[in-house]
Amino acid sequence: MASSTISSGALVSLEELSSSSPHFKQGASLRVTGKLQEYTVETAIAVIVDGNVRLKIDTQHMKLNFRVGSTYQFIGELLFEPSDEAILKARVGRNVDGIDLNLYKQSLQLLRVFQAEQINGRTT
Amino acid sequence: MDSLYHTHVKLLAFDFITLTPNPSDPLSFSRKGLSISRAETLGIVTCREHKPNKFLKFTVDDGTGCIPCILWLNQLSSQYFSRRNPSDVRLIANAAAKFASEVQLGVVARVRGRITAYRGAVQITVSDVVVERDPNIDILHWLDCVKLARKCYDVVPCYKPK
Repeated sequence: MASSTISSGALVSLEELSSSSPHFKQGASLRVTGKLQEYTVETAIAVIVDGNVRLKIDTQHMKLNFRVGSTYQFIGELLFEPSDEAILKARVGRNVDGIDLNLYKQSLQLLRVFQAEQINGRTT
Repeated sequence: MDSLYHTHVKLLAFDFITLTPNPSDPLSFSRKGLSISRAETLGIVTCREHKPNKFLKFTVDDGTGCIPCILWLNQLSSQYFSRRNPSDVRLIANAAAKFASEVQLGVVARVRGRITAYRGAVQITVSDVVVERDPNIDILHWLDCVKLARKCYDVVPCYKPK
């Protein structure tokens, strides 16, 4: 049957979001998770980090209380600024303090294997 | 009838959206030959359209896709409920209004309901909603869905009418 027109935010960790990633492209819908490193009230720009990777988030449409050091998850579209820096224009966001990021990343791997199995099973 | 017919089957969105209507039973849908009629999903609410006293349409994004959901809010005016006990109908209407107030953009919602089709797409006609607070709850849901598919939904024998 036909699918929904709203794009799902693909599950990616910040560490996977490099220039070689298929998700690292203009307009890609992503779900990202990271610790808030900085937040500028005037511009509503947040920066989240995971390991050594950081990502700017445009939170203009969010009604969240941002606390540096807390962990947040956002769904939105990836855009590239004139400087070529990536920024996620967030549609929704939430505080996920207490999330087990290691378990999250391991589960993502299992989920991807399962999804590939199921999709391959349909086509063979 | 299949043993999972009345069960709220936990499906990931990429799986849910491939369900196909059963030509022989307008209330059921087929997943790899298995007839099911109810589903459970869990994910972030990413879209919300509210018509007071009519309906709330919303979308649940579980990271593998989006599932459209409809929560009816017209119980007090719909002919469909006119033959039922008015106090029961009020209870149903109050519960639906409470669910509608809880389903806000960005929350993680666990949604159960009947699988229905609208304009060629499958959706959930909502019977209940729980807003989840645990930040690890979607991990548990993914793993539940994977385990149930592998150990149960993919191996349950399907009833084939002779």
